[in-house]
Amino acid sequence: MTTASLRGGPEPTARAAVVSAPAPTAERAWWGTHSAQRKIFGYTLLAPAALYVLLLVGAPFLFSLWLAVSDANVGDPVARFIGLENFRAAWEMDTFWIAMRNSVVFLVVAAIFKSLLGTSLAFLLLQNFRGKKLIRGLVVIPFTLPIAISVLSWKWMYDSQFSVINWVLSRLGLIGTYGSDSWPIWLGQPHLALAACIAVNVWRTFPFSAIVLLAGFTSVPLEVIDAAKVDGCSFFQRFRHVVVPMIFPILMIGLLFDTVFTLSDLSVVYLLTQGGPGNASKILPVLAYQIGIQAGNLGRGAAIALFLVPLLLPALFLVLRNLKRREY
Amino acid sequence: MSDPRPVPVKASVSRRRFLTVAGAGVTTSALLTMLDARQAPAQIRGTTLRILQWSHFIPAYDAWFDSKFTKEWGDKNGVKVRVDHIPHLELPARMAAEFAAGAGHDIIMNASSILTRLYYRSLVDLSDIYSQGGKNHGGWIPAAGPLVEVEGKHYGIPMFYILLPMLYRKDLFDANGLKAPDTWELARVAARTLKPKGHPTGIQFSQCADANLNWRSLLFSFGGAEADPSGENILIDSKEMREALRFAKALFDEGMTPEVFSWDDASDNRFLASGIGSWIHDAISAYRTTEDTNPDVFKNTHIGLEPAGPGGKRVSVSSANVYMIWKFSKNQPAAKEFLAHFMDSGKEGMTQSRGYNMPYLLADAQKPMPVIGADPKMQILQDFPKIVAFYGYPGPFTTPIQEVVNLFVLPDMFTRVARGQAIEDVMKWGVGEYRRIFAKHKRA
Repeated sequence: MTTASLRGGPEPTARAAVVSAPAPTAERAWWGTHSAQRKIFGYTLLAPAALYVLLLVGAPFLFSLWLAVSDANVGDPVARFIGLENFRAAWEMDTFWIAMRNSVVFLVVAAIFKSLLGTSLAFLLLQNFRGKKLIRGLVVIPFTLPIAISVLSWKWMYDSQFSVINWVLSRLGLIGTYGSDSWPIWLGQPHLALAACIAVNVWRTFPFSAIVLLAGFTSVPLEVIDAAKVDGCSFFQRFRHVVVPMIFPILMIGLLFDTVFTLSDLSVVYLLTQGGPGNASKILPVLAYQIGIQAGNLGRGAAIALFLVPLLLPALFLVLRNLKRREY
Repeated sequence: MSDPRPVPVKASVSRRRFLTVAGAGVTTSALLTMLDARQAPAQIRGTTLRILQWSHFIPAYDAWFDSKFTKEWGDKNGVKVRVDHIPHLELPARMAAEFAAGAGHDIIMNASSILTRLYYRSLVDLSDIYSQGGKNHGGWIPAAGPLVEVEGKHYGIPMFYILLPMLYRKDLFDANGLKAPDTWELARVAARTLKPKGHPTGIQFSQCADANLNWRSLLFSFGGAEADPSGENILIDSKEMREALRFAKALFDEGMTPEVFSWDDASDNRFLASGIGSWIHDAISAYRTTEDTNPDVFKNTHIGLEPAGPGGKRVSVSSANVYMIWKFSKNQPAAKEFLAHFMDSGKEGMTQSRGYNMPYLLADAQKPMPVIGADPKMQILQDFPKIVAFYGYPGPFTTPIQEVVNLFVLPDMFTRVARGQAIEDVMKWGVGEYRRIFAKHKRA
């Protein structure tokens, strides 16, 4: 709009001549346009991250998909496509269903205990006391210890004959002496064996939950908490209605990590029981390892391992959906 | 009259042919001389040889192997030898990783789980040194060949195996008027008698290597079998198998405590060393552990021959150990030279392992054997080579059997029965697992 038009007068005739003149410059290629260049610049910045994810996550995942639909075994470099045969064979195995059930039980029970213990520990570490920094450092020790060493210690504590847990319980009069019916065989009785494995998993990883929660708690402004206090909120009301909504994204990410860590935890069960007694503590990763690596049947092992994906998907969906909702 | 002058004969050997034959002769005689003197060819000098093997149950053996045996051979032949040790249960995973990478060690050991049939396409044919070893040492025990033989070629060298005899407390047996556990029935009577007196027995009802070995010894001594000699057909569905399961259930009920469900390979060692156990069926590492940790118990611990089954049959299922060379190894000549030397040093290995390593070579198995031949309590072990068998008996250790072993199908059958499942239900489950695994491998 010109100043003349703003004033309400007629447009100068010279103006029309200028407007109707052909563009003096040559037509620019699409990649030469400003918006295209902005896009290219953006994708270039994104490319290393995308490549990183593609190489480190996408390629192994696609490879495991290929293994699962092939007859690959560890001694033969050539594998044939066999469709869904490996999935069907796994589906027909008794042991697979036992491992599937145990994996779900393992995941749910461990998640409950880790939430309870992690939250309690985070609240405790939030308090002011002498040596707080030292204690905060010490609580992550189970998580940072080499898993083989820590699980070996637990194996001794669960030993059928020399279990320090049993000896303490026996001294306290809670159970009988060694050899009596009430003497628990932690790794030898089906339900106790799974519980013992879950306990070690919880012991190892609940400090991680606590640290994640602690990071969330410390990010909540004190003024908000104080305001809630002034409004008469109890401890649990403040937690439920103030703290949790504010740290929700952190909670969700923590939940996702925890689910992945728990479901894929091969080491604890493998080192403690190898899935025994009689498959009572067998979980999918252990079964996949035994069939895929020890028995050399890579295709079948990969198919069993891929059954972890449907277990992970609900957690992933829940987390991403909640995070997405909170963005708006 | 004939012409007395000698008839000139046309030379049948040309100069070229003479040189060829002479050259070959010199080379052959040099090679024979080298082999005779165990001197390595010059081409291996200045190379590096990498060996991957288990951590031996006798730590002193590893110290000898790493810092003396391999070092001396390396110094003599100008080869730098590097030995890496990992737990025996991790060997299959490492082997899979090295195969996938096409790189790793030159020599790799298989312990208990023998993977020859799985990897033979990627292993060096060692038939020459296998045959030569047999010739030099009076032949191999019959069970050795099937461990490493595929389609008429030998892809590994069986070096030693580990026995699992009866280890029993003679003082407890004598005090209660019990006979030595020479049969499974006598062992059961002893367990039944001694458990109420605070001395139960124990065999692993769990998923560990010893469970795979022990329950097979019982089954085969009862006349049972796992697969036929071709390795193609399953023989587990038999009355002998049912009888063995029935016996194991009775043995558990009468003579064991539920702790056997949680045992690993070392639990029975501790059980014996603690003074509680009346007898166990285990490798002599348990005997050695007791020697080191409880001398009083050790003094009264005796070793028995594999107990006989109801028909008097004795089969001792042992833990096999085999060495192989990868085809991708860049130092195959040195690896073969080393294995030939190792094979010739079986007796030294027996000494250094305190009698733990048992020989596959018949000359090494002649009485008196090193260490065990000199120890009155261990001399009985010299009678085992006649009754030794491995997984899959009487068939070879095939790929399906390997999967059966790695999934602990057989020990799980015994465990299920001990836990109270009906024998026919367990048979249905176990035979089903065997059939499924065999069928899958047949399809493949």
